[in-house]
Amino acid sequence: MLNLHGYGARLLEGALVTVELAALSLVIAVVLGLITASAKLSGRRLPHLIATLYTTVVRGVPDLVLMMLLFFGGQMLMNQLSDLLHARFGLDIFIDINAFVAGVVTIGVIFGAYMGETFRGAIQAVDEGQLEAASACGMSRALIFRRIRFPLMMRHALPGLSNNWLVLLKTTALVSVIGLSDMVRVATQASKATLEPFTFMLFVGAVYLLLTSLSEQVFMHLSRKYNAGFTEERS
Amino acid sequence: MTTMTKMPDDASATLSRPETSEILLKAEGIEKRFGDTPVLKGVSLAARRGDVISLIGSSGSGKSTFLRCLNLLEQPDAGELEIHGQPIHFTARRQGRVPADPRRVQWMRSRVAMVFQNFNLWSHMTLLDNIIEAPIHVQGTPRAEAIEQARQLLLKVGLEERADHYPSQLSGGQQQRGAIARALAMNPDVMLFDEPTSALDPELVGDVLKVMKQLAEEGRTMVLVTHEMAFARDVSTQVMFLNQGEVEEAGPPEQLLVDPQSERLRQFLSTR
Repeated sequence: MLNLHGYGARLLEGALVTVELAALSLVIAVVLGLITASAKLSGRRLPHLIATLYTTVVRGVPDLVLMMLLFFGGQMLMNQLSDLLHARFGLDIFIDINAFVAGVVTIGVIFGAYMGETFRGAIQAVDEGQLEAASACGMSRALIFRRIRFPLMMRHALPGLSNNWLVLLKTTALVSVIGLSDMVRVATQASKATLEPFTFMLFVGAVYLLLTSLSEQVFMHLSRKYNAGFTEERS
Repeated sequence: MTTMTKMPDDASATLSRPETSEILLKAEGIEKRFGDTPVLKGVSLAARRGDVISLIGSSGSGKSTFLRCLNLLEQPDAGELEIHGQPIHFTARRQGRVPADPRRVQWMRSRVAMVFQNFNLWSHMTLLDNIIEAPIHVQGTPRAEAIEQARQLLLKVGLEERADHYPSQLSGGQQQRGAIARALAMNPDVMLFDEPTSALDPELVGDVLKVMKQLAEEGRTMVLVTHEMAFARDVSTQVMFLNQGEVEEAGPPEQLLVDPQSERLRQFLSTR
């Protein structure tokens, strides 16, 4: 068995940070993705332009670079803001960007762009006639989204969504560079202290594999749920 | 029960004989253009309780667009709409005229049900769930009551055994009868049918027409776009022939379909 040299508890804490980070980032990414997809499909010029700029930049720049840009750049912006507040109003406020919040926001923003593309395709794949039937029944736009459009869309979105989620989960490893004590950072520290990097990286790798395997189970369940009524067509 | 609607060349609405039953759905001078192409040039219709009005005409005559204007799936550029004597108000916007109050449109649509050419049942729901969806979420009917009513409607359209099937497990004819049950579940004042049998294999058409005929005999108020001339003659109280966005001829089916006055209608009927 692996000898973790007493780092076990800290590693598990780090694993919890990883899971929390990933879950919260996913929420932001899904919301941003839905907004981006709607903006691109709205047919209005300004929202479409902003959404296109967003997905182009985010998908074109490496995640690590973006993360450092947003984190350090964000901190610089905050410093300037507090300098300004001090100079103009004599306020002495120092805003320190919390590494966890920064990690969640950055990963959320990055994956929001990918989700946007996934959702756009899925929204377009929904049969217009079925939405029209919902309108014709007197359903409101919100009700149509909740009861008809979203479940129909999810069937098309799930494969891309599950793919994005797995990449997102693994991308959380990058937050160790901005000083967040996630599982990877704890393992790096432990490796340096004990000079046994293989032990700790093996452990971290196994935990990631466990998380992704569990995710696959969840997505298989969701896939069955949202494919109800469609599976018969294929057989 | 027959009403003559306003003819485009006749400014005053003329009724063929005095009518006592109330007008459930009234459209006056509906105009619609797609881009620069006028599709409807002032079409009017008044459906009284128990009326079955068939809209006929060649493709491109505007009959489907007119039907879709009746529950505002298309926004008419000009003209008035009244349901149960309650007018729908419009406001001018940059992109054209839109209904002033979306909630009013939702209310109106729940009173005017639509049956589509391609059925448009919701594919992620069973047939029963399709039927109880709007009664529960739009009209606020208690679930148990909605299910009870849905089962009766399924019996009526001959699908009582198929309640738990998904649309993909049903034939086209079964899907369309299911869609009729879904429309009936709203207990609408008026039912609109947009070429309900055009997407069906010929051997499945009969079952759907049978259900529709039964509805007509029960006194349901219906407006339908159809290519089934025999059916139109059989069940309609009034037939309207549309040509190039205008009502070319309107009247009781025995008059219109047997003794057409206009040359265009004569031509149209001879190709059927």
